[in-house]
Amino acid sequence: MATRSRRSKPFRLQDLGNVSWLLWLDITAILAWGVLLLKYWLTNKLNILLHPDYMWLAYSTGAFFLVLAGLRTWQVVQLSRSHGISGSTLQHFSLLPRRWSAGILLVVALLGLVFTPEPFASETALARGVTDTLTMTRSRPQAFRGGTQPGERSLIEWVRTLNVYPEPDAYKGQDVNVEGFVIASPDLPSGYFTIARFVITCCAADVYPVGLPVKLGEGQTSYPSDTWLRVQGKMTTETLNNQRQLVIAATQLEQIEEPENPYDY
Amino acid sequence: MTKLNNALTLFFSLLVEAMPFLLLGVLFSSVLLLFVDERKLVALVPKNPALAALSGSLIGCLFPVCECGNVPVARRLLVQGAPSAMAIGFLLAAPTVNPIVFWATYTAFRDQPEIVFLRLGCSLLIATIIGWIFSAQVDLRPLMQPAIARMMPAPLKPSKPSGYVGDGPVPELLQPGTFLLGQSGQPLRFDGLLQSSAVSSSVLSKPLAVRFQLMLENILQELRELGGVLIIGAAIASILQVTIPREWVLGLGQDQITSILAMMLLATIVSICSTVDAFFALSFASIFTTGSLLAFLVFGPMIDLKNIALLLSIFRGRAIVYLFAIAGQLTFVLALLVNIYLS
Repeated sequence: MATRSRRSKPFRLQDLGNVSWLLWLDITAILAWGVLLLKYWLTNKLNILLHPDYMWLAYSTGAFFLVLAGLRTWQVVQLSRSHGISGSTLQHFSLLPRRWSAGILLVVALLGLVFTPEPFASETALARGVTDTLTMTRSRPQAFRGGTQPGERSLIEWVRTLNVYPEPDAYKGQDVNVEGFVIASPDLPSGYFTIARFVITCCAADVYPVGLPVKLGEGQTSYPSDTWLRVQGKMTTETLNNQRQLVIAATQLEQIEEPENPYDY
Repeated sequence: MTKLNNALTLFFSLLVEAMPFLLLGVLFSSVLLLFVDERKLVALVPKNPALAALSGSLIGCLFPVCECGNVPVARRLLVQGAPSAMAIGFLLAAPTVNPIVFWATYTAFRDQPEIVFLRLGCSLLIATIIGWIFSAQVDLRPLMQPAIARMMPAPLKPSKPSGYVGDGPVPELLQPGTFLLGQSGQPLRFDGLLQSSAVSSSVLSKPLAVRFQLMLENILQELRELGGVLIIGAAIASILQVTIPREWVLGLGQDQITSILAMMLLATIVSICSTVDAFFALSFASIFTTGSLLAFLVFGPMIDLKNIALLLSIFRGRAIVYLFAIAGQLTFVLALLVNIYLS
């Protein structure tokens, strides 16, 4: 016991300033995370990071962090008034020293406030492999009963439909009206490009691209990669890369704004 | 440049997704600390190591959190003297064997309910086996991070002295002078850090307002510590995701063996939370074998890059290598059996 009291006294005197500095670092870090989460939500950037189903979790957490920071500020002010800063009531056991973890949290939150998440583009799509077959997206095609008019199907719905009934010739001649971004696939001959979209299931870590090849019509010029387009035309079938597949024969290409929410579900 | 941008987007998306679940885990852990006497919970655990491991695995039903959230709870259980079999069982099974994950997996695999039940069954089995194996190591402390090891009570003999199990605050730990726990014949290290377990056991008798104050402090402390390591794990996961082409992982094959290995590798790399990984696995349902999907769903919540960083806040590297190796082999064998006999 004697050792303890001898130790604890100098600790208080020399570390009091230090401890209160760390207390404020904690509060700032939590506050910054709260602001970051709410900022991503309010600026619609959560769209790029998360599936809509999980967004409420993110912004509620942000709000909760703000409350926590507020409560903690109040507590610290109260405690310092009564000279009882108790930063060490509960002991620390951690991989990282305290100032490091609080520092990392704060720095990353500040980085997040400066950095604007960008949706993935064609380069990532190529790296992850665009395909028209790989897809069984999170919503199984329950609604698919042949009810949707071909002209109303989105790109994802086309891929899903194709997944259920993968015979390309069955769709020949149907109307197409889809939106997506351009990928200049190296596998396709000239006069073709891929129109693609990313599908998200939970967060950006799991987005994967789906796409269909588009054949340019007479007098149509190709667009650079990552341009967002609305493609209208008819479905046709062709043999590309030794594989018989569905191709959109474009009759009209229209450049569109990049949608606020670049993913589909 | 695009790569850097992609890596940052991935990084923040992992964090934004994991933060709520980490917060949930920290809240559970703090409530557990200040409003529940874990000693009672720990005392209820059967003495047989296999049963202890099983009961630890099932405790996950009480704490519906994913792997970002179960680490703080497991850490608290260990510090409170939970038997190793129970704590390890909890650590490995809790992210999967809980109502939220069951519901999410069921939502995703409505058409293949066998996956839902196989996932639960296999996770429970693996967690119990590993918990059982680790119970051979009665004193876990050499495997723990030194700071945690100092806070853990010395292991009790298999037959617990009844005095210890008593309810309410445990007098031995309240006063520094009686830190020698005579029953086990092993003196506890006299160390200021033990104060914490004293706080957590005596705190239940403090007034509510004080407990709320302490809870706030604990929430912030755990958020800070685990948030820090979560960030490091997410950073590594996103760098690897950007540098290793996913095609390469997928290209490993459709065959019964390599598909399982590929999905386990993928689970380790993408590090997504167990509450949502079923939806992710679903996107592979058409090209991957059932066994490999199962391997993804069972192995991912136990061990992934993000989670290893969190585990390092409890265990030394050596213990994590054991966990990783045993869990990996068991998952592989079970998934292979599923591939061969069930699909």
